[in-house]
Amino acid sequence: MSLFRKKRLFTLLIGIIVLVALIGFSLRDRSELSTVEQFVNDTIGWIQNAISAPVKYVANIVENIDDIRDTYDENQLLREKLAQYKGLIYEAQEIKEENQELRGLLDKADSIRSYNPIHATVTARSPEHWIEQVTINKGDIDGVEVNMAVITADGMVGKIQSVSKATSTVQLLSGFDEFNRISATISREDEGDDIFGLIEEYDEETDSLLFRIIEESDQDLKEGELVVSSGMGGVFPAGLPIGTVKEVVPDQYGLTRTALVKPAANMYEINNVVVVDRKLDGEEGDQE
Amino acid sequence: MRRLFLPLILLLLVVLEGVALDILPSNLIDGDLMITPHWVLMFLVLVAIFYDSEETYHSILYAMVFGLLIDIAYTGILGVYMFTYGGVIYIIHGLRNMLHSNIYTILLFGIMGVAAADFIINIIFYVIGIMDALWMDYLMYRLIPSILANSLFVLLFYPLFAKRLAKWREQLS
Repeated sequence: MSLFRKKRLFTLLIGIIVLVALIGFSLRDRSELSTVEQFVNDTIGWIQNAISAPVKYVANIVENIDDIRDTYDENQLLREKLAQYKGLIYEAQEIKEENQELRGLLDKADSIRSYNPIHATVTARSPEHWIEQVTINKGDIDGVEVNMAVITADGMVGKIQSVSKATSTVQLLSGFDEFNRISATISREDEGDDIFGLIEEYDEETDSLLFRIIEESDQDLKEGELVVSSGMGGVFPAGLPIGTVKEVVPDQYGLTRTALVKPAANMYEINNVVVVDRKLDGEEGDQE
Repeated sequence: MRRLFLPLILLLLVVLEGVALDILPSNLIDGDLMITPHWVLMFLVLVAIFYDSEETYHSILYAMVFGLLIDIAYTGILGVYMFTYGGVIYIIHGLRNMLHSNIYTILLFGIMGVAAADFIINIIFYVIGIMDALWMDYLMYRLIPSILANSLFVLLFYPLFAKRLAKWREQLS
């Protein structure tokens, strides 16, 4: 232990070398975590699982009491909406059946829309704010793989960043940078009016995703239009809602336009998520 | 058995840091304020002052081990917390004899520790390119709230563990 005292400078230098080496090692583009990291992640994830369940239970009770106050008003509103939806459900069912029949005729079972859902619960969130990631309680064993999309009932929240045996970490949309693009589209009634583009990164200042429009349409983009994934990137299935258009701005050269997209899902209150395992495999090594 | 107490408490704190943000009401996280829990560091300050003697360096060893655990579990960038926590606790360990150990000095050391650790971590993240906020914003929205929240934590932990840690030291030596 006298090493700490007598050779301070020496220790400090070694420490800095180790630090730089470790950072270099972890920033390298690696597809798999080392065994040690997987083990630590699983162990901590296991304890978090045990702890987060009762904690969430208590937090839920408090929330529920809050909710009860608004229940009556909400109930009235929902009843009205429900009546409208009944018709829609019937229609959707008809269309689904017809779709299936037609698919059967064409002998084409899987589309880029279909996926296997893997249900998971969020057990922890990184306390470091610059790193927007949460831990979920499903991993390699359950079939989770790197780069799969993660959604909630509202829409997309992120993608799988790394996988351990029984847990995995999700990179949230709010932590997306230029290395994780999503090919997205705004779907219109007329086939020719669709708008295609790429979700490029998350903009901290405006709290929105930047949607760079590649293929414009004659019809102008309006506020509040829904942006969904297009499935053309090869990793995410088509039709996952991403967010709504907030504002359209021209880029600095005035050649293309960028839409600011407000994410559909709340990035801060995520409890239950679905990991989306796309049935149709994209090309190998395709980065979305 | 008693030797296991410290690592177990620290492990529990590492785990709780991840769950902590879920407990807080979301408008607190949603807004501009960003509070980073440094509970492990706060507890290690207590360990450095009450459990370690001049000749023992348990706190520094624990700081590095559990810093590494935080790195693996929460950031994925190894070495940042390990190096920072190790360094900060080493300095506090060196300073421990300058002041009497009572609640005010602990609070002072805690505030100094959080400020130094958070600052170093952010410098490293800034150099790597993960953090890209203005330094003024960082100071107002992150550093000061973090310091306040963590010193609250020290005030909570001091009465619980100060005596106990001193007792454990007696029993082991």
